[in-house]
Amino acid sequence: MNSGPLLFLGLFATMACSWTGFVLAPQLQLGGLTQTNTVVVGDALSQTYPLAQPGEAHAGSEVYRANACAACHTEMVRPLDLGSDIQRNWGVRRSLAEDYLLAIPVMLGSQRIGPDLANFGRRTDTNGIYLRLYDPRLITQGSVMPPYRFLFETHKIGFFHSTDALVLPDQDAPPPGFEIVPTPQARALAAYLLSLRQDGYLFEAPPPPLPRTNAVPTNAVATNAVPAAAKPAAK
Amino acid sequence: MNPDEPNKVVDQKDAEPVAGRSTVPIWLIIAFGLLFYWSQLFLAENAGGFNKEVYSPYPSLEEVALANPQDPGAKLRAEGMRIFSTTCAACHQASGLGNPGNNVPPLAGSEWVLAEGGNRIARVVLYGLTGPISVKGQEFNGGTMLPWRDTYSDEQIAAVLTYIRSQWGNTGGPIEPPVVKAARAEARPSYETADELLKLPVK
Amino acid sequence: MNVIASPAPTISPASPQAQKVGAEASCPVGMLTLFAGALLWLLAASLLGLRTSLNFHAPTFLAGHGYLSYGRVHAAQNAALLYGFGVPSALGVGLWLLCRLGRTTLAGPAIVFIGAIFWNTAVALGVGAVLCGGGTGFDGFELPAWCAPLLFVAYLMIGLCGLLTFHQREAGPLYPSQWFVVGSFFWFPWIFSTAALLLLCVPARGVLQATTAWWYVRNFDTVFLGFAGLASAFYFIPKILGRPLRSHYQAALAFWTLALFGSWGGMPDGAPLPSWIISLGVVGTVLTAVPILTVATNFYQTVRADLNALDADPTLRFTYVGLMFWIIAGAQQIVGALPRVSVVTDFTWFGAAQEELFHYGFFALTVFGALYYIVPRLLGLDQGAWCPKLLKWHFRLTFLGVLFSYISLLVAGIGQGILLANSGNSFVDVMRRTMFPVRFNLTGDLLVVLGTILFLLNFAGVLVAAYRRCCAERKGCA
Repeated sequence: MNSGPLLFLGLFATMACSWTGFVLAPQLQLGGLTQTNTVVVGDALSQTYPLAQPGEAHAGSEVYRANACAACHTEMVRPLDLGSDIQRNWGVRRSLAEDYLLAIPVMLGSQRIGPDLANFGRRTDTNGIYLRLYDPRLITQGSVMPPYRFLFETHKIGFFHSTDALVLPDQDAPPPGFEIVPTPQARALAAYLLSLRQDGYLFEAPPPPLPRTNAVPTNAVATNAVPAAAKPAAK
Repeated sequence: MNPDEPNKVVDQKDAEPVAGRSTVPIWLIIAFGLLFYWSQLFLAENAGGFNKEVYSPYPSLEEVALANPQDPGAKLRAEGMRIFSTTCAACHQASGLGNPGNNVPPLAGSEWVLAEGGNRIARVVLYGLTGPISVKGQEFNGGTMLPWRDTYSDEQIAAVLTYIRSQWGNTGGPIEPPVVKAARAEARPSYETADELLKLPVK
Repeated sequence: MNVIASPAPTISPASPQAQKVGAEASCPVGMLTLFAGALLWLLAASLLGLRTSLNFHAPTFLAGHGYLSYGRVHAAQNAALLYGFGVPSALGVGLWLLCRLGRTTLAGPAIVFIGAIFWNTAVALGVGAVLCGGGTGFDGFELPAWCAPLLFVAYLMIGLCGLLTFHQREAGPLYPSQWFVVGSFFWFPWIFSTAALLLLCVPARGVLQATTAWWYVRNFDTVFLGFAGLASAFYFIPKILGRPLRSHYQAALAFWTLALFGSWGGMPDGAPLPSWIISLGVVGTVLTAVPILTVATNFYQTVRADLNALDADPTLRFTYVGLMFWIIAGAQQIVGALPRVSVVTDFTWFGAAQEELFHYGFFALTVFGALYYIVPRLLGLDQGAWCPKLLKWHFRLTFLGVLFSYISLLVAGIGQGILLANSGNSFVDVMRRTMFPVRFNLTGDLLVVLGTILFLLNFAGVLVAAYRRCCAERKGCA
């Protein structure tokens, strides 16, 4: 171990080992993934998955990136036996490599200071998103999420009210004659968050066997009902 | 400083540290061996055969395939398509519409093919058919279907039957080989007639 | 079984003449710029960290504009800590060690100086861009895409000088610190260029971006920073104690196994990846027990409970405590990788605690220890140039601060994990119940900030003393 060149060779070999195992091999295996079809049970129709994000959703992912939302939120659901993600209705199945095929950049996050967002589009709606961004404590009491009021602007009500003006309780309401509307950034971010869904079972995460009734399973798809404003969210 | 006297402190100002020649203790080496052994066991159990389609909790690709909704007819259909296109399509046509000019009845939409069970059509294929037969309200007279019991096995005939029951808009389920085997066990003479068949059960 | 196998290596103590041809004879400007810049960035990172900790006391504080919102400040803090403080201090200490152990002067000190200025400018622009919303979205690789080539060029400048310094070393056997320094200098360009290419230039498809980012962060921390800190520990602890390092062979084993296994892993257990990638990562992480045990054994046998020496010398104190924290952080990483544990601890404050302990507890403390030794000698002064009071309080505040931060985040993480494992607990409820230790983290951050300020004052004092002595000498000559 006294020779410079041997030292370099050894370091190169160990680096190559790690690079091959964690950069090259995954690229060879997963780099060629393409859109695929969902696995269905019974008479349901198989669909292409994943579908491309509509343009505004991609712009929204840029807002997500710029504000580093991934600092507090993850976008990956763990399997049924590995944590309580699915029991919390954060997803119907675990996340797979296929789910992120068309996302750039992929912001999986690393810490959950806030809940997981992989399937956020299935359990929220536009108005709920706007309220939560404007003041998270309107939706979830005791939340530590910072408000993102700079994504909204207050302006005089014109001839007509804006259709997406926020409806706020009295203490947060704007002065009379004014309304609070989301900026294009907020709209894009909302479009992105609504596009976050990972339904559709795939080969790697097949559907559970159908029960022998027509009843819907208990942890079924959440509705698009607006969450009641004053109740703390059950997540 | 002198490594032979490791506890003798020398004037630090000038001396650079040296590395002694003490060997690696044996217990450390044993611990590493055990860790390495554990790692191999862990990989054998959890690495899913290094297959890109195996995600936890499934331990192997077979388990993933088993957990997916099973389609029992798929293999039969594939084999049946192969046999049909080489043997049966010559008369019944690849479109399954048959050849009325040559007294070949159609298979597409045929009530014989779509019957609940495969007993009758298994016999048609095994023992052949002669004489008049009514298919979809049309009479076919004068044609003869050859027996295939000596040419194809139970599995192959079941495959063809499964195939014709799933093509051209037909929505019949698969026919399993035991159905054909039961039909073969009767050892009827060749060339049945439609009337004889209609007396037999469908299943 | 600790038989000394062969006669001791014949490295003679450096003669007074030889000592002049050491790091002390090098032009100090390059290395001092690296160190000064690194310390200022450490302070900046600590202040940004203070702001992020404040979020859990008052989420609406400073949230009016985007520039100081939690997410952006967190990303900026990480970038400032890793790229503003981490890389330059690793380079500076590494260069000094190469000079010392190679008994040569620094090659190309002017290039090192220019490289340092270039690097700091690039980091400053990058951190500013992150605060304005230009971050990449990857944890550990936040600086925007246009920063990467600037950083790479600056690194190459400094790294090549290091390579030349290593090449022009005095003939003789290599001391373990030299392997570690060369290893860290070599590792960074590889992982950085791979990450820059696959994340920014030609983004890899889908989840492979996340894989590459996780791999990069693991390599940056465990191998690059780990090597840099261990190089310092392997040098200063035996040197100041006046004893030889117990085993060359154990050092070699630790070096190669850390390079090999430390570079495997970084993926959380629940990541959306095939199970083989995750299992391989778990195996790599658990096998880092090999270098940790080896280093621990080596130093235990070297130090052998001569803990009184820790009080006497600041370098020894900082470096030794830093090494202890390295062992604890490494052990925590191993425990956190085991599947049964990671089910509970993944995505909680547990990981944040380990990062805090590694970056501040191990790396920053080790760098402080090295600087306490290096800086006066670079300027031609001796150890007495440091103000003892500032030094004493620097240690106490930093040590306590790291301890408070680590323990509060660890408790919060374990609590959060255990509570979240029960799906009956709503998420916001769990956050509420673990808020107290998270809030307590602010005290740790404050103490670290104060300690860093004290060290900066001390550092400035030494610079002033050197300047005065330089002036006095000139006057004397004239």
